[in-house]
Amino acid sequence: MTSKTKRDVLEKHRDNANLNAPSPAQVMFSQNDLGADGLIRPLDERIIAATVEALESGQTHYVDVPGIAPLRDAVADYLREFSGAAYEQGNIVITAGMQESRFLTIQMIGAQFDSIGVPEAVHPGARKALGTRARKVATLPVDASAGYLSSVESVDAAVAGGCRLLFLESPSRLSGAVYSGEQVAAIGEIVNEKDGAVIWDQGLAPWVDGDYASLAAQDGEAARVATIGEAFPGMGLASWFIGFIAAPEAWVAPMQSQKQIQSICTSTASQYGALEASQLFGAARGQQLASLRQIRSRLSQLASEGDLDVLRGAAANIIALRMESGSEAALATLRAAGYEATDGAFFGAPDVVRLNVTNTTADALRALV
Amino acid sequence: MSKKKKQGTNLLYDMIAEASAYDDVIVMGRGDPDFDTPAHIVDAAKDAMVNHHADYSPPEGLLALREAIAERVKRVNNIDVDADTEVVVTNGGQEALFLMVVAANGPGDEMIVPEPNYTTYADSLAFAGGVKVEVQAFAENDFRADPADVRAAVSDESRSLLLVSPNNPAANVISPEDMREMLGIAIEHDLIVLADDIYDLFVYDDFEHLSPASLPGGKERTLTLNALSKAYSMTGWRLGWIVGPADLMARVRELKAAISGGTSVISQYAGIAALTGPQDAVEMMAEAYRRRRRLVLDALDEMGMAYGVPQGGQFVFADISFTGLDSGELAQRILSEQHVLAYPGSAFSKDRKDYLRMTFLQPEEKLREGLERMKVAMADIMAERQ
Repeated sequence: MTSKTKRDVLEKHRDNANLNAPSPAQVMFSQNDLGADGLIRPLDERIIAATVEALESGQTHYVDVPGIAPLRDAVADYLREFSGAAYEQGNIVITAGMQESRFLTIQMIGAQFDSIGVPEAVHPGARKALGTRARKVATLPVDASAGYLSSVESVDAAVAGGCRLLFLESPSRLSGAVYSGEQVAAIGEIVNEKDGAVIWDQGLAPWVDGDYASLAAQDGEAARVATIGEAFPGMGLASWFIGFIAAPEAWVAPMQSQKQIQSICTSTASQYGALEASQLFGAARGQQLASLRQIRSRLSQLASEGDLDVLRGAAANIIALRMESGSEAALATLRAAGYEATDGAFFGAPDVVRLNVTNTTADALRALV
Repeated sequence: MSKKKKQGTNLLYDMIAEASAYDDVIVMGRGDPDFDTPAHIVDAAKDAMVNHHADYSPPEGLLALREAIAERVKRVNNIDVDADTEVVVTNGGQEALFLMVVAANGPGDEMIVPEPNYTTYADSLAFAGGVKVEVQAFAENDFRADPADVRAAVSDESRSLLLVSPNNPAANVISPEDMREMLGIAIEHDLIVLADDIYDLFVYDDFEHLSPASLPGGKERTLTLNALSKAYSMTGWRLGWIVGPADLMARVRELKAAISGGTSVISQYAGIAALTGPQDAVEMMAEAYRRRRRLVLDALDEMGMAYGVPQGGQFVFADISFTGLDSGELAQRILSEQHVLAYPGSAFSKDRKDYLRMTFLQPEEKLREGLERMKVAMADIMAERQ
């Protein structure tokens, strides 16, 4: 069949580099897959029991668009307790995973601003979300020595240049690097001064080894920050696709409308699973973080002994390496040894390889040394 | 300052919120079947939690589910698809709808839409920057969209043609003759066909459902959506799909990856059980809807409401112009005074404020009670008019 209409649609599609940006898998293929965003974790029997109980009691129907009330409460409580951000139930939208959180915030908050500032190195999911509908994008330079974060000066320059909405990750999804308390305060002041706003991805924050500063917790910032992340990561729910957005209520309304348009609500099984996970998260996270910290410390030492360049990063669940010869050769070496890792080129950092921190990561590193 | 009247989704939000405050409310608005998901499907989800909770699923979905979908669309719709390249699993029919519209339309593109129609089509098209070109149909013709009107609506900017059969909210089924003619128009004017088959298992009397993608020349230009929500009473699981030609489906896949990344594997395993397991629950529900449909139509006849005879689907779209009230006002009064939620036609289209959509997704006893309460409300309203 010759169809000009189809040809036009497909040509525009092929030209859309953002939409076609390759992205890491959501969940590992196997124990040797160290490149996925989410890890294989055991699922606590209590999560299974609570989810089955909900389903068997008839929770198989549509629920409220922004999510079931107790889960929204649980997410607000978690954000308040964990990062000091003053969110309530009305500020929370439960999403069908982290990518839906990126999409809804970037598109719906983005629609209220002329342009959006996005770091040169960022999770490709942000670029893909931008690719669904044309947005004016200002690229923020990143500093490799700072774990590929955009500097406060870059943020200042972008905002001074008229770009009042920023998409920032802390920790960086590439390196795990975080903004310090002082840097977060400085970003808050810059944004405040110019009546700007920030979409703040803190999905990896539970794995930060040490203090963590959330932008929404800064004085006066909650009204201009949308915080996004996975709902209770590390609890075995990676393939259940459950995430959150926490935002001022004025921003929740358009995102809720769009959520209704694109998916009505999030799977009830995922929501009830996450609700039970919220009860177990505190204790489980502490144990996991201690274990990850220990493994990552050994990996850093191993890398150092092998002259590998480990990027600055505070999140204990990932380790990123800067490879002088580029990521391709390193990935080929890893593949030959039976391992998968994330290509930094996906993020806009073609000389970086990212590996998840697991019990098999050391063997992968040895293959690179 | 006058308060702007709420429309569409926002109007429905307010009504749903009010309805939830009434303990004795009877919901005849939302398209959510009252039946719970069949037990064997819940059991499959439980098994998935134990044995497959961390399975990797690509954005387009588990291959086993895509194979089950390919088998289903062949068996039910006579559409041949390759499970590898021509199926994408979605977060319910709603995400399928959004993806389908955004995949086919860009800024300035025109989508021809037989009206009335489900509001989300217009909302999704607005997101894409497209333009809706309406073709009107009315109760006196059982909401049949005339292919001649569709042909007249085609312009140089036309990119796609929406064909929802059975239709929501009007519940008409596009006849095989009309479907062939509609597809012919699409081929002649090089339009992409967007087919919504979500109610294809609920067709009444002697009406016949036909998927445009099953016709010669149809598949290569048609994206077809469906979901498990209505047929298996799985609205809360958020599981649907799109099938279509591999080239367009590659675009759908990337859009799916950009919008939500993937679909819960627990829902996907439940979906495999639904599609490959026993189908007696679907037949039981279809039979119940047949009985309830008769119940509702009889009550509407008693109330003196005209309607397009529902040829399929799970609802009826009734003309309430004789009340002299706007459908928003009427629906609000029925809700506030009798605690019955029916959806105003104005929530579907600004041109349909003379209509009310009522679903038959309540147990018969409750449905009877709801209809009796509606009769009381209507009698009060008519008495006020005299």
